[in-house]
Amino acid sequence: MNIKRLETSRLFHRFGFGPRPGEYAQALKDGVNVTRTKLTIAPAVQTTISPVVTPEITDLGKRPEPNSKEIVPFAIAMRAQEQQLGLWWLDLMALSDHGLTEKMTWFWHGHWATSIQKLNYPLPMFNQNKTLRTQSLGSFNSMVKAMLNDGALQFWLDGQDSTSKAPNENLGRELMELFVLGVNRYSEDDVKAISRALTGYQVVRSTGQVSINPSRRDTKPVTLLGTTASFTGDSLSDFLVARDDCAQFISERLWYRFISSTEVMPASFSAKSAFASRDIATAVKAMAADPSMRDEKYALVKSPVEWFISACRALELTPSQLQTPTQLKSHLDKLGQVPFNPPNVGGWPAGGAWLSSATAQYRLAFAAWLIKQSPLNALNQIPIESRVLKSADWLGVPEWSARTQSALRTSLDDPAQFALLALCSPEYIVSA
Amino acid sequence: MDTISRRRFLKLTTGAVAVGAAANFLTLDEIAEAAINRPLPSGTPILVMVTLYGGNDGLNTVIPFKDPVYFSSRPEISYKAETMLPLDAELALNPSMGGIKSLWDQKKVAIIRGVGYPKPDRSHFSSMAKWQTASPEKHINSGWLGRWLDSQPEDPMLAISLGSVLPPMLAGNKISGSALPLGGLVIPKGTFAGQCIQLSKVARVDSPLMAAAATSMRNLFSVSTSIQPVLKSPAPVALDLPTVNGGNAGGDSNLSQQLDVVAKLIAAGSPTKLWSVSLGGFDTHANEANAQAELLGVVSSGITRFMSQLKSTTRSNDVTVVVYSEFGRRVKGNASQGTDHGTSGPMFIIGEKVNGGFYGDQPSLTKLIDGDLAVTTDFRDVYGTLLESVLKSPAEQTLGKWAGRTNFMKAV
Repeated sequence: MNIKRLETSRLFHRFGFGPRPGEYAQALKDGVNVTRTKLTIAPAVQTTISPVVTPEITDLGKRPEPNSKEIVPFAIAMRAQEQQLGLWWLDLMALSDHGLTEKMTWFWHGHWATSIQKLNYPLPMFNQNKTLRTQSLGSFNSMVKAMLNDGALQFWLDGQDSTSKAPNENLGRELMELFVLGVNRYSEDDVKAISRALTGYQVVRSTGQVSINPSRRDTKPVTLLGTTASFTGDSLSDFLVARDDCAQFISERLWYRFISSTEVMPASFSAKSAFASRDIATAVKAMAADPSMRDEKYALVKSPVEWFISACRALELTPSQLQTPTQLKSHLDKLGQVPFNPPNVGGWPAGGAWLSSATAQYRLAFAAWLIKQSPLNALNQIPIESRVLKSADWLGVPEWSARTQSALRTSLDDPAQFALLALCSPEYIVSA
Repeated sequence: MDTISRRRFLKLTTGAVAVGAAANFLTLDEIAEAAINRPLPSGTPILVMVTLYGGNDGLNTVIPFKDPVYFSSRPEISYKAETMLPLDAELALNPSMGGIKSLWDQKKVAIIRGVGYPKPDRSHFSSMAKWQTASPEKHINSGWLGRWLDSQPEDPMLAISLGSVLPPMLAGNKISGSALPLGGLVIPKGTFAGQCIQLSKVARVDSPLMAAAATSMRNLFSVSTSIQPVLKSPAPVALDLPTVNGGNAGGDSNLSQQLDVVAKLIAAGSPTKLWSVSLGGFDTHANEANAQAELLGVVSSGITRFMSQLKSTTRSNDVTVVVYSEFGRRVKGNASQGTDHGTSGPMFIIGEKVNGGFYGDQPSLTKLIDGDLAVTTDFRDVYGTLLESVLKSPAEQTLGKWAGRTNFMKAV
């Protein structure tokens, strides 16, 4: 495989949500170094190709009693806001001029996987999403501190039910296992200790506002990972984030989502040493330049949302304009991935899990539905005689296999069918 | 996890059939005449795995109802003794599990107590991975039933999981099971089918993941052509259960719908020896008693109905159902009327060929290890018996040299 095409393709699909028409061919002309710099340093201000209006997500207040007359307008407002929230984020992913910020926000959403299904209020999820975006390429320590004060996460993991009298271990365990250190890098006694240190948080469910109730808080010193202290949320974050295991774990997670979900991270992976300062942007930049980016063995399956957004960018579609939003949600739901709705606190699966016969069918139907709504400008502009090979540039695919080329050749005079086969080809489902 | 996974499952039930993608997709009617042409020979054993995600509280499932320590450890989430369903002088089932209780009375239920593995891991994900790979000591990428599939002739119909995401349990090193969403698969036809078959050829240059992407499309054809017509037919009738609105009681949960599809396909002779269904939502850190009772009620009525449906087929003697979860929960309740992650729990094995009764020792409530129940039976003992006595296969290729067995199957 042509390594320059491979690396350029990975930069677009892994550090963003895929190229817009023309971007991949231009990047090949610019060269890998220029493209890497361009795609992996986020601009200070995020711009979009067309305006994305921030939705008005409001405090819906206490849920009215079932069967009361107030419950109907409440439920309607709740559903409308939840829908606007989802479409707003999908629009940002599809329309952003620079992909990295949204890609990182998406990565962190899967990392601190919180679901609206338990919260049942859009505002705390909206607030959490803004926090993740602001912190997405900043200091990891600030992110952990912000997340401990995030109402959606606290409520999701029963933080508001954890008191000095009876600590609930849900948040403390996941903080170490899934968010900061990684599994088995602590003992069960540490879980009990950290859970005591995290008691006393209270959450206003409808807004996600967090406060600390001193009378519910256990301020007695605990021994956590060999250190005895009376921790606050902030000092706990300082303590955990400073540990070597944190750099190991975060670089493992970056490896898993950006480089390979099937191969083990080598000790030399450059994101790990680059994370010494706990600055996320530095680790991401190092990862983009790591030799693994040029190694053919590190293929990665696009998750359904990643596949869908990259298709929107190639097809010049705006998610919120698709007819209808309900159908869009149903397509994403069938593929098993709806933003703000991860299956559990571990986030979404990766790799082969997205490659069942069921997803193959749903992907075909989803792609056909999208293509019907696209003008297919970019594809129509490619002359028929060079359409098979040039369509790889349109989609940012390093190369088509002979198998896929021969399938595409059967649809040269039918652009919609051609696009359908291309978007559902193994080369587009998987980032080579 | 909490209730979301259950609600997510319930939501998936609306994932109906043909997604309006024009004439390129077959409708169910168009392929309704097709038939299964290589039925599973009658008498072939069939294993149905029921996975409870989230960590089912075993102590509130099979309850030591005479032990005062049970009531004092969890005053807010213990059940009243008079509502429980006694199995013997010491243990009772959760009040919501009337269906399983009647199967127990018919000696069709083996309850294996205190099942787990050495050095219990309280992470949902690690612990479920240990159960599904049957490798508690080191992390491996293949599932235990996937390794069994590796030893069988390749056939995408041999092992089927309900739902669109395949559980790791069914992923082998070479061969994996198939996924079947509720509502079934819609396959391309005509010229489009030819194009899709072209796209699904594995190319020499494919990375393993690209090859898997190609194969998933190929399996769409092989699984759906045989399964689709059967899904159109009505579910077998459960003769001995009351009917509600034309269907049997308990048929409104997602688990029941999954089991309904399994029952239909078993009745039709699908050449499938292994089925996987699941229910989520067992992570009851808060407000446990009602939530867990509701879920266990779904499990109990779903399985009872399934076993009853099978009686109207020729295969009711062939099916063995296995119920497990990644861990049990802490003995002592927490402040949120819930329980935190624990260790061992009971497994249920249900079927006509099962030798009903208790197996394994009930973990003591007073000799806790770090506040948690001891493990008295290794899950590999159970798997070994399932492989040998149900799937009639040597256990070693799947479990390595593991000697333990739990003899809950009747001698043939």
